[in-house]
Parts: sequence; C-alpha cells; structure tokens
Amino acid sequence: MKKEVKKLSLLAILIAISLVFSYVDSLIVLPFAIPGIKLGIANIVIIYTLYKLGIKESIIVSLLRLILSSILFGSLLTFGYSLAGAILSLTLMIILKYKTSFSMVAISILGAIMHNFGQILVAIILMDTKEIILYLPLLAITGTISGIGVGLLSVLVLKYTKGLELN
Amino acid sequence: MKMKALIKKHLLEIIIIGSILLIALLALLMINLAMPKGDYVVVIYDKVEVERYPLTAEISKNLSYEDNHYNYLIIKDGKAFILQASCPDKICVKQRPISKVGQTITCLPNKLVIKIVGKTSTVDMVS
Amino acid sequence: MKSPKILLITILLGALFTLSSCQTYKSYEAMSFDYFDTVTTIVGYEKNQKAFNERFTMIDNALKKYHRLYDIYYEYENLNNLCTINKNAGIKSVEVDQEIINLVKYGIKMYQSTNGMMNIAMGSVLKLWHDAREKALADPLNAKIPAQDDLLLAQKHMDINKVIIDEEKSTIYLEDALMSLDVGALAKGYATEQVAKMLEDQSLNSYVLNVGGNIRLIGSKPHDELWHIGIQNYDLTSDNDNLATLALKDLAIVTSGSYQRYFEVNGIRYHHIIDPVSLMPKNDYVSISVIAKDAGLADALSTALFNIDIEQGKTIIEQFSDVYVMWVSSSGQITYSNQFTDFMI
Repeated sequence: MKKEVKKLSLLAILIAISLVFSYVDSLIVLPFAIPGIKLGIANIVIIYTLYKLGIKESIIVSLLRLILSSILFGSLLTFGYSLAGAILSLTLMIILKYKTSFSMVAISILGAIMHNFGQILVAIILMDTKEIILYLPLLAITGTISGIGVGLLSVLVLKYTKGLELN
Repeated sequence: MKMKALIKKHLLEIIIIGSILLIALLALLMINLAMPKGDYVVVIYDKVEVERYPLTAEISKNLSYEDNHYNYLIIKDGKAFILQASCPDKICVKQRPISKVGQTITCLPNKLVIKIVGKTSTVDMVS
Repeated sequence: MKSPKILLITILLGALFTLSSCQTYKSYEAMSFDYFDTVTTIVGYEKNQKAFNERFTMIDNALKKYHRLYDIYYEYENLNNLCTINKNAGIKSVEVDQEIINLVKYGIKMYQSTNGMMNIAMGSVLKLWHDAREKALADPLNAKIPAQDDLLLAQKHMDINKVIIDEEKSTIYLEDALMSLDVGALAKGYATEQVAKMLEDQSLNSYVLNVGGNIRLIGSKPHDELWHIGIQNYDLTSDNDNLATLALKDLAIVTSGSYQRYFEVNGIRYHHIIDPVSLMPKNDYVSISVIAKDAGLADALSTALFNIDIEQGKTIIEQFSDVYVMWVSSSGQITYSNQFTDFMI
C-alpha cells in the first residue's frame, strides 16, 4: 500500500516536472526555425521514468505530459503533431532499452531522431506536401545534437538520484 | 585505454548513429546543390493551391483565409518569405527566404504552406 | 613508374572531355538581381560554360553601366547620373554621359508619339507611389496610397518642356525645382536594346536578354530554330503557365503587367503603372505585350498603352512599322493588333 502511494506521487511529480520542461522548451526559440525543432528536454523525464519505473509508467508520463502540455501551451493541432513523434520515439526507446545493450545517450539520440521523424510524417500528411521531407536530414542532425545533451543529462540525473528507491 | 574499451563496447550504436549523420549530411548537401532555382511561389492553404506568383515578381500580399489568421508574404529579389504572421509560434517568420525548387515555408497553425515550384512549359523565356 | 600512368590517365580523361563537348552548342543560363530593381536572366548557346561565363560577365558589366547611369535613387562616385540631374533641378545644369542624353531625348520623343501617356518627367508623382509601395513592403498592415492632395500638388511639376538638353555642352537641366525624371517606364527596355546592339556588333548569335520581362532576342537558336517565348498567364493558378507562345527571332517583346509589382490596401491592388492623367493605376488591363524591333520602343509603348483604350492605342502604334500588340483586359478578354497572331504557335 505504502509503495503504491509512493509510486503514484512519484509519477505525479514526474509529470509535473516534464510539463515544466515542455514549457521551457516552448520558450526557447532556436535561431534556425524549422517546424519541429525543439530541444526536447522533457525527454529527460521520460528516459528517467523508463529506466527507473518501467515501460507502463513511461507511457503514462509521456501521454499525460502530451495531453496536458497541448491543453496548456498548444492546440489540438500540436497534439496530433507531437503524438506521432512521442509514440514512435517512445516505442523505439523501449525496444532499444530491452532488446539491446545500447547506452542511454544512444537511446536518447535515436529517440530524438525518431520524434522528429514522426512529426515530419504527420506534417506531410496534414499538409499534403511531400516536400516537407526535405527537412528530415537537418532534423536528423539537430536531433542528434539535442539527443546527446538530453542523454548526458539523463545519465547525470539517474546517477544523482540513486538513493531514491521505491522500496 | 579506457576510451578504446568504451568505443568497443558501444561500437554498434556509434556505427548506427554515425551512418545516420553521414546520410543526413550527404542528403543535405545534395538538396542544396541539386535543387534548381524555382519559377513560381505557390501558396497552399488546407491542402489546396490557392495562389501562385512568379518568383521574379515584387509583391507584398496578406494571405488570410480565416478570420484573425494571416501570414504576410513578401516576394522580392527572387526569394519568398513571410514578414509577419498571426500564428503564436512565428516559425514561418523565422524561416530563411526560399528560392529553390522544393523548398517550403510551413505555418502549421494557419494550415499554410509556401512552396517553390519550377515551370512546366517548355518555352525558352517568359515575358 | 608512376608518372607515365598518371600521364596516360590525364590524356584519356582529357580526350573524353573534349569528345563529349565536341563543337555542340548547349544552352546556358545565368541570373542577376542587381540591376534596375528587377531580375535579369540571360540565356545563351555556347560551346561550354566558360565561354558563356565570359559573355555573361561582359553583359553584366554593360548592364551595370546603364544601371548606374539611369539610376534615379542613388549617385555613384565620379559619375553624374539621372539622380544628379534630379538633385540639381532648378539649381544648375549637369554635364552627363552621351548615353543619358540619348535616353532622355528618346523619352521626349516617346512622350510626343504617345501624346504624353508615357512621361519621363512625372518623377514627382511616381515618387509618391514608389514610397507608398516601399512602405507597404516593409509594413504591409499599415499600407496606404498617396494622399490625393499630394498627388495633385505633384502633378503641377511634370512638364516635360522644362527638361532642357544642351547637346553641345552635353548637359541636362530641369527648370522646375520640384520636378524630377523617372525613367522606370523606359530605361530597362532602352538599356536592354543598347546591350543587345553591342552584342550584335560583335556578331553574337543565339542569345536572349531578359531584364525584368523586357526580352530582346539576338539571332535565333542554333540551326535557325526560332525562340519560343511564353506570355505569362495573369491567372497564375491556372494550369496553363502561358497565355500564348510566340515563335520569334531578332525581335524584342515586352510585357507590362498589373500583377508584376503591386501592393494592397484593404484588399485592393495598386500596381506600378501610373496613369499621367488620373495619377492612379488604371485597372482596364492585366497585361499588355508589345513586339517590336527595338526593346526601348516596346517598353515605352507597353506602359503608354496601359493608360489608354485599345482604339487610341491602335492609332498610336500605327506610327511605327513592325509593332504588334496583345491587350489582355481585366475581364480576361484578349485583343490582338494586326498580325500579332502570326507569331503565335
């Protein structure tokens, strides 16, 4: 019982933190504006949840963050847009974590690239403009850079929260 | 020594990410080199082409297809860009001017795509 | 051991290169955005890129010369141009290059031939419209057309008889301090023609100059093929890019269109061709295309015809031989002058 409450509170805290990160993300405007380019720092929380709590919990945090941040700082459009990115990115990260021995940084990078890929895919469908795919190479590069940063930060966060165990 | 061991341990992921980066860089280079200069600026609203201007024109045009939504398109010196817009993220305004076939400026909130296309006719010159 | 191999490879590659480029003329294209506030496109048939680049540099330099001489907005070091003349309006006469005298004389001649419908002395009025358009480009939401009072005031200072040319001294003087020259309706075509003549003097063949829609054909394509020139469809969303396709050689064709340069105020378009009588853009036509032997004539006529009805226009073009016109009215109705259709394919 006590463990369940603790877990529930932890999830709530994680979602709250990821929301703050999403907000900060929306504030930071990168100089080379392309639809979809974001730092993706909220992914730190998702990776943390995936490593610390597991698959089910990471899906919960990811989805709730998405819904809440779309209501708070976005629109229905941005929701559909980010949903595809989030689903693809999280699926890949789960597979990589459980099926390979990839490092956290690598998983973060590939997750970030996948996130951009999903957004491009939705943009192509929504706008019916296949030329948007030309953004993909640039997004893969920026995804790698931001993925490295997010991955390294995730490593640090997990290292410094080692004492905080659920049981 | 430690570095070597680290690289060996993560060899597969380094190769995968490295090749993605390489392909992306090559693709970027090819897109920039291979794309010819366009002839028309096409405005697509909600998947439908609504306007078409020659890239050689000098035009300022308020593209507004819904109340309180607008994107101000400027065509000048063979390039097209958005000067002002009503969208919250202003991503379309921050994008660099476009001039090559296939380049786009997208404004998701206003469901707008500005696209550069080439000519379809086979004449030597157009007056 | 190594060097003979390298030599062999070089010879082979060299042979391959020469074979592949063996005496066949290919079409090359280059653009520049620096002159006459518009896009310049040059197409030419040459044996290789290098030969074309050399020609292009020459053409580019020639255009640069005319651009500087005929610039009404900026002055250049050690050069008296139209801007200098305008600045000294009512003050003193300015010694200028013969090319400027020729242009201004041609402008006065065209004023007479078009009954004042093409007036290079209406700078005062055109400046008001130019400023309004520049402001609209920078701040579209606050775009405004010039005030009627300002236009009427400016109208008093466009008397072409106050342009005083002294050919002996090579000077031009504007008697009215508030008047100014604006050669926008003429200079592009006139300069295009001068550059074309220079190229023809060098027996150049198979080139097209296009300075912002002022097209001048030099010779024909290789093997005496005619150039195919499209007249842009004013309805740009239409599947047909061109209203008509013409097969021509050695001639000039100029199209003035209301869709080329304009700004909007409250959804109403204001294009760049200003009627000297109403001081406003006229909306009778979307485009007028003129074929002539001389690009300067074609340019001046395409502007003048914009400001008068088709019947008046026909009497004006009767003065000239080998001038053919296509009028496209605002409702999309097309009228041809005699024989224009002969060029259509």
